[in-house]
Amino acid sequence: MEAALLIKKQLVHLNMQAANQKDLFKQMFRQALHLGYVKSSFLKGVMEREAVFPTGLKLNNYSIAIPHTDPEHVVEQFIGIAILDTPVSFALMDDHSKTTDVKLVFLLGLNQPHSQLEILQELMQVIQMEENLERLLTASDCEQIKFVFESIHIQEKQEVKKE
Amino acid sequence: MNRKRIIVACGAGIATSTVVLDHLEELFAKERQLVELIQCKISEVASMQDEADLIISTTILPTVYKIPAVSATAYISGIGMEKLDREIIRIINL
Repeated sequence: MEAALLIKKQLVHLNMQAANQKDLFKQMFRQALHLGYVKSSFLKGVMEREAVFPTGLKLNNYSIAIPHTDPEHVVEQFIGIAILDTPVSFALMDDHSKTTDVKLVFLLGLNQPHSQLEILQELMQVIQMEENLERLLTASDCEQIKFVFESIHIQEKQEVKKE
Repeated sequence: MNRKRIIVACGAGIATSTVVLDHLEELFAKERQLVELIQCKISEVASMQDEADLIISTTILPTVYKIPAVSATAYISGIGMEKLDREIIRIINL
């Protein structure tokens, strides 16, 4: 449930229109700064990190990105989510020379090492199931997005039962 | 037998490497292999490689290292995890 708690309605952007990656980061940053989740240095931090260590991930049918930066730029932990109307290009995490078209972006604002593992594991669990990605991409409000994160524990229980 | 040392790296040494580190701890416990896992930023790897046996990184390797290095994106995407498990166990037992 850790990850679901970090999803804030005002930091979830449905049907986002972004011209490119920079525009996307700017829009997400502006809202986070306005609400006091990040310091003004956050945007530069995220953009520099993405340039050197890109975070695009190609999954089976969808691609996602998990931009993040050093903890000192974050005031209060959050997971910002953007669902893009038109995909934005991200370089791949393990291969700079290739890009992938991303419609689903998770902007990670993390600064507490203790809770981080659980949050990241929940996020990985969500993205590793295609059904979850589809539910996120077609979500019509923040509650539906939160529900995807909340229901991973139910999925886990079902898997245990199957075994 | 000497305990092998594995460097687990990502861009910041905080996010994706944490997930990989946790997975590796489980993997080596299951395989009953005693290893030492060191988490760091990819920029710190070059200076640490002399004391390690393997580099596992979620980000692109900026240079060629003297010791074996593998990409661990599979542990993040969930695609090809078992294959990567086997590859890591193989290298560690060389």
